[in-house]
Amino acid sequence: MSTNVTPRSRLRERLMVVLTACVALAAAGAARAGDAVDFRRDVFPILSNNCFTCHGPDAKARKAKLRLDLKSGALRTDDPIISAGKRSESTLFERITSHDPDDQMPPPKSGKSLTQAQIETLGRWIDQGAVWKGHWAFEPVIEPRVPAPKRAGWARNPIDAFVLARLESLGLEPAAPAADPVLARRLALDLTGLPLAVEDAQAFAADLRPDKYDRLVDRLLASPHHGERMAMDWLDDARYADTNGYQNDFARTMWPWRDWVIRAYNANTPFDLFLTEQLAGDLLPNPTLEQRIATGFNRNNRTVTEAGSLDEEWRVENAVDRIETTATVFLGLTMGCARCHDHKYDPITQTDFYQFMGFFYSLNEQGVYTEQRGNVPPLVSLPTEADRKHLAELDKAVEAARARKAPKNELDKLTKERDEFKASIPSVMIMEDAPKPRPTYVLKRGQYDQPDRSRALEPDAPEALSRLARGVPRNRLGLSKWLLARDNPLTARVAVNRIWQMHFGVGLVKTQENFGVQGEPPSHPELLDWLAAEFVRMGWDQKALHRLIVTSAVYRQASRVEPSLLARDPENRLLGRGPRFRLPAELVRDNALFAAGLLTQRVGGPSIKPYQPAGLWEELAGGAGEAPYVQDHGPGLYRRSLYIYRKRTVPHPALATFDAPSREICQVRRARTNTPLQALGLLNDVTYVEAARRLAEQVLKDGGTSDRARLETLFRRALGRAPHPQELAVLERGLERRLAVYKADQDAAAKLINQGESPRVPGLDPARLAAFTATASVVLNLDETITVE
Amino acid sequence: MDELRFAQTWNRRLFLRRSGFSLGSLALGSLLGRDGFAAGGAKGTRDATEFGGLAGLPHHAPKAKRVIYLFQSGAPSQLDLFDPKPAITSRRGIELPDSVRMGQRLTTMTSGQKSFPVAPSIFSFQKHGNSGTELSELISHTGGIADDICLIRSMRTEAINHDPAITFVQTGSQIAGRPSMGAWVAYGLGSENQDLPAFVVLLSRGRTDQPLYDRLWGSGFLPTRYQGVKLRGGKSPVLYLDNPPGCSYATRRQMLDDLAALDDLHYRESGDPEILTRVAQYELGYRMQSSVPELTDLSQEPQSILDLYGPDVRKPGSYAANCLLARRLAERGVRFIQLYHMGWDQHGDLPAQIRMQCRDTDQASAALVKDLKQRGLLDDTLIIWGGEFGRTIYSQGKLTADNYGRDHHPRCYSLWLAGGGVKPGVSLGQTDDFSYNIVKDPVDVHDLNATIMYLLGVDHTRLTYRFQGRDFRLTDVHGKLVPQIMA
Repeated sequence: MSTNVTPRSRLRERLMVVLTACVALAAAGAARAGDAVDFRRDVFPILSNNCFTCHGPDAKARKAKLRLDLKSGALRTDDPIISAGKRSESTLFERITSHDPDDQMPPPKSGKSLTQAQIETLGRWIDQGAVWKGHWAFEPVIEPRVPAPKRAGWARNPIDAFVLARLESLGLEPAAPAADPVLARRLALDLTGLPLAVEDAQAFAADLRPDKYDRLVDRLLASPHHGERMAMDWLDDARYADTNGYQNDFARTMWPWRDWVIRAYNANTPFDLFLTEQLAGDLLPNPTLEQRIATGFNRNNRTVTEAGSLDEEWRVENAVDRIETTATVFLGLTMGCARCHDHKYDPITQTDFYQFMGFFYSLNEQGVYTEQRGNVPPLVSLPTEADRKHLAELDKAVEAARARKAPKNELDKLTKERDEFKASIPSVMIMEDAPKPRPTYVLKRGQYDQPDRSRALEPDAPEALSRLARGVPRNRLGLSKWLLARDNPLTARVAVNRIWQMHFGVGLVKTQENFGVQGEPPSHPELLDWLAAEFVRMGWDQKALHRLIVTSAVYRQASRVEPSLLARDPENRLLGRGPRFRLPAELVRDNALFAAGLLTQRVGGPSIKPYQPAGLWEELAGGAGEAPYVQDHGPGLYRRSLYIYRKRTVPHPALATFDAPSREICQVRRARTNTPLQALGLLNDVTYVEAARRLAEQVLKDGGTSDRARLETLFRRALGRAPHPQELAVLERGLERRLAVYKADQDAAAKLINQGESPRVPGLDPARLAAFTATASVVLNLDETITVE
Repeated sequence: MDELRFAQTWNRRLFLRRSGFSLGSLALGSLLGRDGFAAGGAKGTRDATEFGGLAGLPHHAPKAKRVIYLFQSGAPSQLDLFDPKPAITSRRGIELPDSVRMGQRLTTMTSGQKSFPVAPSIFSFQKHGNSGTELSELISHTGGIADDICLIRSMRTEAINHDPAITFVQTGSQIAGRPSMGAWVAYGLGSENQDLPAFVVLLSRGRTDQPLYDRLWGSGFLPTRYQGVKLRGGKSPVLYLDNPPGCSYATRRQMLDDLAALDDLHYRESGDPEILTRVAQYELGYRMQSSVPELTDLSQEPQSILDLYGPDVRKPGSYAANCLLARRLAERGVRFIQLYHMGWDQHGDLPAQIRMQCRDTDQASAALVKDLKQRGLLDDTLIIWGGEFGRTIYSQGKLTADNYGRDHHPRCYSLWLAGGGVKPGVSLGQTDDFSYNIVKDPVDVHDLNATIMYLLGVDHTRLTYRFQGRDFRLTDVHGKLVPQIMA
């Protein structure tokens, strides 16, 4: 494929077809009677779900030499099965409507069958000319024309034009803009993961400048907490953890790589460089230390140390993890499916898989470092200036002792001291290839010990997505270039969809992990392509993309929803209202700590161990001494949650309960559940009980001169807005009741306010503090508190 | 639990169940349908007492309504417990014949050994019950229920190391990431009790240190509400269950009322039904604060029952205590109860260690079966006892007259089942004289899993979940039913 982003004027015709098809109603699935059938939305999914198993890309499983995943198969002219315009003359239609079990397609014994609606859709598609389109995500990005919606003045940028045009075509209207306090909180949580301080929120509301919103956007993007917010999500993609993940689950040190990610985001590293440095920083000319650290991305995979494990087996598994992660994160493809056979749905052959593996198979790394703890080679040591100096002194002392032939025990002591200090200097695992590349072979059924040695393979990209260009090195650097090539249809789309998903809770493509044939097509295909093209045109500038999205009118809508619109569009795929979704796990805790004034805002550094119920590690640990959970104290206890120590075999329950993944494998999209365990956690976890107490202390100290004023302050600190009169009434009633309870039971009051390690503010009446603590706990448990809306 | 609180919680429960919820116009039942423990109601195909699960399940009438999986982690030695080999008793120390080993891969823990001396068990075997099932002296209590159990001596697996092997048994794949059996069952069949999780996990440590991992009872790519919830020994059996000190149940109730009122006000502003679901989750959490302590409160258990399980039953977190809890969970309609007892990995010093493992587990395992049986619950409770692979006939390390170790052995291992549709008092399968190869009726892990599903009323090929564009299931693309073990 060599087409670049094509000038708009040449595509009007194609665009009209696409837009016409999009005028059809929003919901995926079979089109309604009388509508134009959209091949991609209506027909292709039927074929892929029901036919590709036997008539798809998998050559071995293919029956009757028929491929229905390609135009050249479905619309073949030699022994045609489809007669365009005439379903009654099409063998395909005959077979899907046959009742003879020998002729019927899909065959009854396959377990698949078409519904009447699906059969009708296929029939109508044939009648309407059997127009074939390649899978949308494999076609190059062609920048679409920005539509002109009917309603003037609403759209602030092209994002809005696409969304509004679609809403209008369905007879719908966008929502009103969100109120200032709501919008400011949404923006702050999205861009930094922290709400605005009360004063800042109030200043924003009082600001009368017309560009106050843009200023706020700029300020938030410039905050070092922005890098933390972005890193938080990226760590899921990169499967970052602080332990190895198998059996004894030894600890490892990868936080310096996490720090690199935060720095990279704060420096607004363009995405193309961000990708290249992580995949191939070590292969760049004269790589800097930073660029080598970046390659830790692909050393985050789980590793095995269990005695008895086979080195070669795990060299393969490590490589497979890197393939799957790289393909999922940057291409949105489920390449792992092609490990044991040709992909059943996407045009990825098993040979493609093992050629792709060639990029990751030459690492200068053992498959198993048996029972070895900590970081293993290849790695790089990261001494500070002071470390370097000290190490030099210790080295000198050892040399001097040797030179003057000091007694053995003295030499041993100095050597030990030097070695121990050296071991204490943090290191990080990085990528480094062995001097000679290792060839790969197709592994029969994916088994490490079944290589097909008749064919040594060269590293390359899948054939259907075009191979590496000539002259491009056949290594990870070449892979990076291929990913970023102009004609790669996936990388930019996947990248912009990730950012979109972050802001709206769901991507334009819902299945961020699968842009292949079995994934979901985009809700707004032109918008996606426009964003992808724009992103590249902006030089892959990530902050600019954020700015474009959050300054749009679409983003700034209120999230309130009427029942009728809710019934029609429960997931807000039409974007006719603002986003509203529960905060990710890390931000649930960050938000509470911030509101309570407990959050330690230091950026970067080693992982921390916050409060955790006793004995969790001990319960599951073996005898290898990985058991005791040594909780942090002091400021470390209250650092942001992205720094929480991630032990793969015993995920922290506070995070796991709110759907944070275990980080065993790469995950590019989180679930968002709503469970009683979350309720229990938010009510009873000492983290939140302490936060409630601290919040209560703050408002008692300087939240106002009346209890009503104090309650208002409490509300503002947690939610960024003042309570409505009715809300205030509930809070006041509750406070009154609890004051009575705790005045009568000083013992209970003393217990409640004694939770958590942070020191107590002196001079506060315990009963009043307890009553306010309980009220603060209520406020911290509000749905609105843990939701971005 | 005091009378008043008990009455209040029961009244509240009934109130909520009968009248729907006071907020908005959505009934509590459909709220729970979104995302609580009792998710997605299935109507018309099952009892009104059941919550969640998929429409159309069970596929056929179940024999078992619930499962208690007594997983013995570390791989109990079949040679010293279940698989007597009199033919080699006189052949201690001979080299394992190549004709027997047939190139079986060994772990690197023994592959470097210069010799592989045959180590017959030093324990004697006796016949038990009318069935005459032969079991070793170490598990005489299990001998006492020989006529209730179905013993499989021909289990086999592909994995040779713990992590992949346990993962394989639990999830149907050696590579981690897939949902565990309990999660599949919770997803497909839901629960009989809306106040307790559908899938509960109980852990106990053994005599050797072997790690385990949360993902063994995880939900994989299934929605996370189906994951196993650990019930821990000690004060707070469910994490974060207890109110903080100084917060009484009355205060908590008031706080929840305020919370509900505020959330309701916000719901009227926002219109997002998730808000109402959240309120329902708080109510469910509140109910669990009663249902869980009620579950773990043994004060009403008669001494005779406690004696049945043995002295450890009073030690929270012990295997015996967990077995008694398992019975109580079964009584309360929890669908999938899984115990993990660690410490069976006897690479060395086997005779001494396995004695202690059996002392910790034998009586309670048998007690559980007897206890369920006398309550009439055995018929519809499926119990499984077994580990992740077998152990080698050859000694790992030095073989002496009274000591030996055994390495991992995937080609055959033993496992027993009882209750829920299983044919009692029978044994299936045979291994060769060295308990090395199966000579009759092999049963793969996938086959066992398919059969467990079948007994629960589920066609393992039809309980699937679309992920990465493909319909996954517990048994992947494998699994044949084992009719010989079904009653």
